[in-house]
Amino acid sequence: MHAVIPYVIAGLLFALGVYGVLRRRNAILVLMAVELMLNAVNLILVAADATIKSALGGVQPEAWAYPVPEPRAGAIFALFVIVLAAAEVGVGLAIVLQYYRLRRAVVLDEVALHEHDHERVTG
Amino acid sequence: MTVADALMLALGAIAVGSGVFVVTSAHLVRAGFYLVVSLGAIAGLYLVLGAELVAWVQILVYVGAVVVLLLFAVMLTRAPIGPSKDLDRPAAPAALIGGGVGLGLTVLLVDAFRWTEFELPPPGTGRRVGEQIFGAWVLPFEVLSILLLAALVGAIVLSRPDIGARPDPDAAARPDEPPPGPVDESAEVVARLQRIAARQSAAQERLRAQRAAEKVGGRLTHPDEIATQTATTREDVLKQKAHDVVFRAREAGPTLGQPDKTEISDSAARTIEGTSREIESRPIPDRPTRALPSGEAQDRAGNRALPKAPDQPGPDPDGEAT
Repeated sequence: MHAVIPYVIAGLLFALGVYGVLRRRNAILVLMAVELMLNAVNLILVAADATIKSALGGVQPEAWAYPVPEPRAGAIFALFVIVLAAAEVGVGLAIVLQYYRLRRAVVLDEVALHEHDHERVTG
Repeated sequence: MTVADALMLALGAIAVGSGVFVVTSAHLVRAGFYLVVSLGAIAGLYLVLGAELVAWVQILVYVGAVVVLLLFAVMLTRAPIGPSKDLDRPAAPAALIGGGVGLGLTVLLVDAFRWTEFELPPPGTGRRVGEQIFGAWVLPFEVLSILLLAALVGAIVLSRPDIGARPDPDAAARPDEPPPGPVDESAEVVARLQRIAARQSAAQERLRAQRAAEKVGGRLTHPDEIATQTATTREDVLKQKAHDVVFRAREAGPTLGQPDKTEISDSAARTIEGTSREIESRPIPDRPTRALPSGEAQDRAGNRALPKAPDQPGPDPDGEAT
């Protein structure tokens, strides 16, 4: 297996995510692009998990670096990142929907950051 | 070039290609579905790399939950079905930065790994990952669960307008202004509701005119005031009828503490055993029916008072059974 293939795929996906975040004006599409970036990071983690250990052939392993005999930390980090992405999407969509409820729009360019208006108590 | 390489190249092409459509498509919903394809291809890459559990969790969480959540948000923000014109900013700076990032990362990674080959590790099973999570990584796992709980609470607090809203300091300045509803309708919805209301009022008007024409026709057949009188008191008659039905059925029905008359007659009939003809001649016990007109209800009440009246000599299944 050539390790460069998954790494390059992950790099291209991350670049696509950056492009999408910068290009899109709709908040939901920006969240989709953020998902692409997070998946690129996950792919890097899993690929590193599969390849780095065999690359570290002659390196003496430190005792504190391997608390368990067979580390597969990359997959576990990927799981953690998936959970983080799920939480991020939940809170992000709650913010987007609340903003839509207040302003009838999800366009990020027109979010008024400088003016500060208090939210009103609506029954 | 092994099988794993070919698989990874194909899946990577699918992932990157549909990722391009995610960030360039003019349809919001299509962008979501291309995201499904891209994430599924990445799950295939995880499978090839030996991270089986991550692949299935990816399909469960991303394709099953996150994309569905995004599509729900697309629906709830009333996104248009067709292509949208104003989804994008000008492409030049984004393309510059994105291309720079992609080029830089690709050059860096290609320079780091060259075309060296690695042996694939044995595929990781869920058992191994589980042992690691609950062994070495149990503290981050618990912290992550607290983070999920916080995200849950935060999402609920954000999406309820009555929690945590500060009172408006300008509210005293304009007290007569009604507070805006949390969801007030857009212009097209208001127009549609008005159209529906107009159609309904037109239909009611037509019905009223029809009824007036009927009334005039009735007056022509009955030249006296009987027609108008019946027309006016028709409602009262109906009310009286309904009253009769309700209260007579209630009076004729079983009262608390007293055995029903049909029950008494049933037990009396069942004590005479061996003479099936006596049982056969017993009328069918009527069931309490509430929604009958008053005359029929009265009739049934009379039947119930005289249960052995042989006016219904139908064959009884109970009698045949005994």
